[in-house]
Formats: sequence, structure tokens, C-alpha cells
Amino acid sequence: MHYFSLQIRGFGRTDVLTQRQKLAWAIVALGAFSGVVLFAGFFAPYDFATQDRDKPFAPPTAIHFVDAGGTFYIRPFVYGPGDSGQGAESSAQGSDQPYPLRWFVPGAPYKIAGVFTSRVHLFGVERPARIFVLGSDGYGRDQLSRFLYGGQISLLAGLIAAILSVSIGILAGGIAGYYGGWIDELLMRGGELFLALPWLYLLFAVRAALPLHLSQWQVFLLLISVMGLIGWARPARLIRGVVLSAKERNFVLAARGFGASDAYLLRRHVLPQTYAVLLTQVTLLVPQYVLAEVTLTFLGLGVGEPMPSWGALLTSLQRYSVLSSYWWMFLPALLLIPLFVVFYAAADALQELHKSVPL
Amino acid sequence: MNPGPRSNSSQLEPLLRVSGLGKQYVRRRPFSRANIAVDAFHDVSLTVFPGRTLAVVGESGAGKSSLARCIALLERPTTGTIELAGTNLAALSRKALFSMRREVQLIFQDPSSALNPRLTAGEIIAEPLVIQGEGTNSQRRARALQLMEQVGLDPAWERKRPLELSGGQRQRLAIARALALGPHLLILDEALSNLDAANQTLILKLLTELQAAHALSFLHISHDLRLVSEFADEVAVMYEGRIVESKSTRNLFASPEHSYTRELLASVRSVESILFERSA
Amino acid sequence: MRYLAQRFVHSALLLFAVSIFSFAILQLAPGDFFTPISLNPQISAHTVASLRSQYGLDKPLPVRYEHWLRSVLRGDFGISFAYGTPVAPLLAVRARNTLLLTGTSLLLAWLLAIPFGIWSAAHRGKWSDRAGGIVTSSLLTVPDLVLFLALLLLAVRTGWFPTGGMMSAGFDDLSVAGKVKDLAIHLLLPALGLVLATLPPLVRHVRSAMIEVLEAPFVRAARAHGIPESRVLLRYALPVAANPLITLFGYSIAAMLSASLLVEMVLSWPGVGPLLVDAILAKDVYVVVGAVMLSSLFLVAGNLVADALLFATDPRIRTD
Repeated sequence: MHYFSLQIRGFGRTDVLTQRQKLAWAIVALGAFSGVVLFAGFFAPYDFATQDRDKPFAPPTAIHFVDAGGTFYIRPFVYGPGDSGQGAESSAQGSDQPYPLRWFVPGAPYKIAGVFTSRVHLFGVERPARIFVLGSDGYGRDQLSRFLYGGQISLLAGLIAAILSVSIGILAGGIAGYYGGWIDELLMRGGELFLALPWLYLLFAVRAALPLHLSQWQVFLLLISVMGLIGWARPARLIRGVVLSAKERNFVLAARGFGASDAYLLRRHVLPQTYAVLLTQVTLLVPQYVLAEVTLTFLGLGVGEPMPSWGALLTSLQRYSVLSSYWWMFLPALLLIPLFVVFYAAADALQELHKSVPL
Repeated sequence: MNPGPRSNSSQLEPLLRVSGLGKQYVRRRPFSRANIAVDAFHDVSLTVFPGRTLAVVGESGAGKSSLARCIALLERPTTGTIELAGTNLAALSRKALFSMRREVQLIFQDPSSALNPRLTAGEIIAEPLVIQGEGTNSQRRARALQLMEQVGLDPAWERKRPLELSGGQRQRLAIARALALGPHLLILDEALSNLDAANQTLILKLLTELQAAHALSFLHISHDLRLVSEFADEVAVMYEGRIVESKSTRNLFASPEHSYTRELLASVRSVESILFERSA
Repeated sequence: MRYLAQRFVHSALLLFAVSIFSFAILQLAPGDFFTPISLNPQISAHTVASLRSQYGLDKPLPVRYEHWLRSVLRGDFGISFAYGTPVAPLLAVRARNTLLLTGTSLLLAWLLAIPFGIWSAAHRGKWSDRAGGIVTSSLLTVPDLVLFLALLLLAVRTGWFPTGGMMSAGFDDLSVAGKVKDLAIHLLLPALGLVLATLPPLVRHVRSAMIEVLEAPFVRAARAHGIPESRVLLRYALPVAANPLITLFGYSIAAMLSASLLVEMVLSWPGVGPLLVDAILAKDVYVVVGAVMLSSLFLVAGNLVADALLFATDPRIRTD
């Protein structure tokens, strides 16, 4: 957990150009990932709730280029139930027929940005064959599709909560740092209260205060608000530090000499000094909050079924039977790692850049 | 740079009259009833006439910067009055004070800290106009370019940031900004101290030209007597927060009265006398 | 001395504020422990009402807080609705388990972080440092949940480790040595998880603090005097780097406690974590408040220890 606000010297070279490149790559990667998640409907072969009771816990569908007869096909294919089999076996690999992988297939309808409806999916196979790239869960739902849709929920939750925390932080830290005095004392003591509790315990406690059985959207919004409201203390403290030093700068004094009001000074001179800190904080908080949401949902306290938050995907892993027999259920967890790598790389690059830019 | 002949100053009204000015800083000790009061300066009186330069010299820590800020209306004095162009500033409401700020401006010692590194030169110079709500965008820009020329900066540098300029150029930028509202009094708070000798000479030349062109008055805070001898009409010596001597430059150098003044003068030595001593 | 007394009072006040805060938040929730029962048509509303009043749930908030405070002073910490017993004994057992796990992991993590950090700082820029850096960064980016699940997967698939719990069946029959061994093998996986989860930031900060000190002029002067490098590192640099590191110690306790909740859930270690989650799901409010207070207590106590350490080692604080 990134509790620590000390400046960390990065490993490796720290010259500005390399950091900029690193940041650029991170942004591109994040953008690509967000794009895919945003258009989950298109990239996912199935809807996140479509169940296939015939195929619970199906392993990832094998993709073939060579059929049983030894013929090579350019277009890859999967095996599906032929006319004889009804797919009574729990494996997705049925008996006979090869079903070629098609591109831009029509499938389950979905909405783009909640407005446009489309039926086109990037890839798929004809029914009754199924293509489970990451396997299927206990209800026969495609894990890949659930992962992509789940990204919408978990990432969005993390992002909004991070922005909320930072917004409160800038408000509290700005006021405390600029005006000082009793309001500074009050706000910082209040922040200390929030920092005194291990954040996961606090999150759970607050979650406990909320009704357990609400509509999905209510839970989602409540979770975001709770997470955002808990994490304001550290950004606030950092911003307060920046504001404290910024307001003593001679150029602020000079502007005061022209008759500038407090509001003008804050807007034009003081707060812009905090942008670097804000950006770094958001970049650090988003993965933290995504993880918080995943953890809560994993333990049954978060977003409920059938919303496919990443935490929901990992819940079944708590059962030993699943863990020992169905290894592919672990894959979504592994997919999270590169995402976090990118976030932390971006945060590191930002911190290094921010240090080398003279204030 | 000896000041040329000027009109008889006693006939004109003083631009700035400071009487009995004092500033006390009070620090509260935590967990204690007692407050510590520190005098930055005490019972200071000065007069500056239009178009003239008054230097205030003394050691660092003698309260000179604090004095400069009070007169520049950046801090409130604890006692005393400041009269600027005949108006008693202490009696002014906040709104009236707002417009009085056009009359007096401060140039800081370190231009790097006095200029916001994120803004461009043009924006920096135009800022006083923005704050005082003067002119349209294009008018302000035109005025900024005009000021840049006046201080000897290439107007093509309008979009440059302070970090892209040299120390001397940054100080010119600060001067241009200070002139934007057309003040009559400029306070130079050790404004030349951070510059190398060559730049000092150039900036002094600029200031002299500006003084002649706009009938500006300068209040020059400095610890450097050599500079003062070049640029000031009158000198006030500050020692431990009080003015101990105040005369015209010529008289001060010729016949100093106070012991501190004599100490100061003694420490200013010409290059010739140094070399002479060493060769002996 | 006054400094320490100040810190102590400050901590006590903080705990008090935390108690009010968590109590207030939890009591704001609509519904309570008896809500599910009240939905049962076979149980009369009268029964539910009398149950509620028996547990004092019908009283206003400040009254309930006062009752709870009294109960704390008595040593009960309120009543668990689910277990029907006072909260304190429930918590005590779990707390002991959590402390065992967290304490061991904290010790291990720091015992590993300090040497690694110092060594990395001393060999800065060389390939060994880079390699270490890559390992640290990789470990840092793996989310705790994934890490713990991976360990669970390891236990389940290989059978080398127990997959949960603190003791095997038949624990009581073992000899003392056997008991220790059994405990240790159950402790191994959760502790490993916690250490892996919290080690990377620690190593990075130790390294960073050491590097900063090593660039100070007095270190260069010491080297110029011909003092051997190992002595420079340990007797000159480390004590100065200790100040930020002791502060870090306080923060590391908070991080460790948070992570411990999760590892206890995933690897079924019977600590405060699972108790808390169950209590939340059942709306057993006094248990929840007690658990939150307990974790805060650990945190505050740990920070007090850190403050005392700082006081003892950094002369600047003493002369303030």
C-alpha cells in the first residue's frame, strides 16, 4: 500500500527525458486499456450475465489451426458439439465439429455509452460452440467478457473515488495551508483521525454502516463516496504543504502589492503549484481504490451480482475446490498485475518529473 | 552617476513622508502567557522628494526589508504614519488603499523568486493591469511590449519564461512590471545585490534613465555603500532598527557623524587602496 | 519527558475521538442485528421489540454511547448479539492471534528491509542494485489480494502447507515442541504473504534514506579520514537515517494491519479480520466497534513506541 509520502529515489536513470518517455508509454498503455474496457461490448464475445448451464467451469477453449486430419487452416477454429452431442460433458470442447473463428460477428446486443445499440462483436464463433478465452465460471459465464465489463465497474469506481478524495483534499489542504490558524489546526487534526485508522478497517466499518441490501447502482455510488471520503487526509496534507510554501513566495507578495484579492492569488499563483502533486496523488490513488473495491466485493461487501466487478470474478477462488481444480479462474487476478505496473510506472515517472521541475 | 542639477527640492512637496514608523513582531509562545515582542524597526522618519533618490543603508537584519515592505504597503506598521502624495495611508479604507497601490511599487532582491516561473514575460508585466482591471487584453499586451522596450528587453521575448532569461534580464522584467501602473515611487529592496558588477552598472544606468524620463523617486535599500555613492541624492543610515544619521550623499561621505556611519565608510575601500596595502 | 507525555495524551484523545467516530457511523445505519428476524412473519413484532429493548437498541445514540463507555471501563466492550457474550473475550482471543501474525511479520519485514536497503544504497547503480530494484518494483505492483490468493493456490495445489487455520486437529495432544512446530507451519504462509506485501516499500525507503545521508558532506569527510566503509555505513550514516525510518515504522504498522485483515480472510487465520467481516454482515455493531477500536489501539500504540524511539535516538527532539 502506498501510505508513504517520502520522496522515493527511483531505481535506474533519473534524467528527465527517460522519465517523460516512461510516462508517455504508461499513458498510451492506460489509454489503450481504458479504450478496450470502455468498448467492452465490442471486444467481449459475450454479455457478462449470459449463463450457459451446460458448461460450468469450462477451461479456456483451445484454438486450433490444424484439424484431426492434419489439414492446416489459416482461419483458426474451435471444436464444438456436433449433431450427435448435446454437450452433456462439462468441457467446452465438444466432440465433432470445427467452428471457425469469425471476426466482427453479430452477437448479443449492447449499448455504447449508454446510447447507441450495436450487435457487432470483435470475434466469436457460431452457436452452439462457445469460445471461452479465459474459461467460464460456475454458471457458465465467459470470464473474458466478465473481465472486460468488470473493468468498467472497478476502474470507474477507482477513478471517481480518487478524484473525490483529491477534490476534498485540495479544498481542505488549500484552506488549511492558506489561512492557517484554528481552521488549519482543526482540519489537520481531523485528517489525523482518518489517518490513525488502518484504512481497510475504516472502509469496512463505514461499509458496515450502510444497508447491506441495496440496488446495484446505490451500492456502487455509496462505495465510491465512502472510499473517496476516507482517503482525503493524505492528499490534503501534501497540498497544504505546497500551499504553505507557495503563499510565502515573493511573486505572491508582489501580486498582493498590486492589490490582488485572496481568491485571485489562490487561483492564479498558489493552486497551480499544486497541480503536480494532485496528478501524482490521483495516479497513486486510483489503483489503491480499484483494489479497495475489488477487496470489498471479493469479501461480499461490495457490488453485488450480477455486476461483474473484478472482485466478483475472484470470489469463487475462496473455495478450495475451485482453487485446486479450476486454475483458469486465477487468470483475471494475473491480468490485474500489468495494469498496476502501468499505474505505478506512471506515478513514479510523475514523481521524478515533478522533482526536477524547479518550483 | 552623480545626480545632475535639479530644481530646488525645498520648493516641492515631498512625495513620501514617513513619521515615527515602527514595526513589532509578536510571537506567541505555546503553553505560556508571555509573548515575545521583537522590534524590526523603531521611530523611523524619512522624506523623499519627487524625482530624487533616498538610500537607506545598514547591515542585514537591521530591519531594512521590513521597512521597505511597510512603505510598499505589503505589511502594516505597528506605529507611525506614511503619507504618500499628501494622503495619509493609515486612514484609508481598504478600497481606497487598492487604488493607492498604483503609486508605489517594490522591486525585490531576488528576481527569480519574485517572478512566477510558470508565467511568460508578457503575462508577468501585464499582471498589475489585470489585477487593477485596466484595459482590454490587447491594450494590456501593447502596454507590456512598450514597457519591455523601455527597460531594454527585446519585445520578441514576450513569450519567454523567467527561467529562460539571465539574472539581469529578470530584474529588468521585474522593473517593467513595477512600472506598469505608472507609480511615482519605486522601492528597491537590495535590488542590485544579487547581480554581478557589470549588470549592476547596466541596471543603474537604466534606473537613472527611467528616473529622468518619468520623474520617478527611488527609495534604495542597500548595504553597499559604493552603489549608494553612485546613485543616491540623500542617504539615511540605519543601525539596530533606528535611523542614526540622514544627510545628502556628499555630506555623509565628507563628514559622517555617527560612529556606525564611520565604521561603514571605513570598510569601503577602493581597489587602489587595497592593492597599495598588499604591495607594502 | 514532557514531549512523551504530550504524545501520550494526544494518543489517548485520538483513541477517544476514534471511538466516538466509529460508534456514530455504525449507529447511523438503518436496520440492526434484529432486522432480518423482524422480517420473519412468524416472530411477532412484540418479541422483536422486547429483544431490541433488552439490548438497549431502542435508546437514543448518546445514551447508547454512554452505556458502551461504561461497558468498556468494566472490561466488557459491549455485547455481541450473534454470540450472546461480552465482546471483550471474543476480541481478546482474536487479538492475540492477529498480534502474533502481525508482530512476527513486522519484525521479519524490518529485519529484512534494513540490510537489503543498506546494501542497495551502498551498491547503488551497480547491476546488483538494479536487479534488486526490479524485484522490488515487481513485488510492489502485485496487488495484495493476488499475492495472497497465489499463496493459497500454492498451498492447495502442492499440499506442502496447511491451507488455513492456526492449529491442526489434535493440537492439544502434541508436545510443547510439537505445538510450536505446528503453530509455526500454520503461521508460515500468512506471515510470508504479509512480509512480501509490505517489504518492497520498506526496502525502497531504507535505500532512499540511506542514499540521502550518504551524500551528506559529513559522510564524505569521514571517508576522507580513511574510515572503513562498513563503519561509515553503520556507525555514521545509519543513525542519521534512523529518524525518517522510525517515522516510517509507524506508517508500516498501519499498512501491516490493513494487509493483515485481508490475509486473515484469504488464508483463514483466526484473527480480528474474519471476526470483523462476519460482524459486519450480521450487523453485530458492538463487535464491529470493538474490532475497529482494537486496530486503532494497535496503531496508536505502535506510533507511540515509534515516538519514544525517536525521542531516544534523535537529540534534536529532546532539545526542542
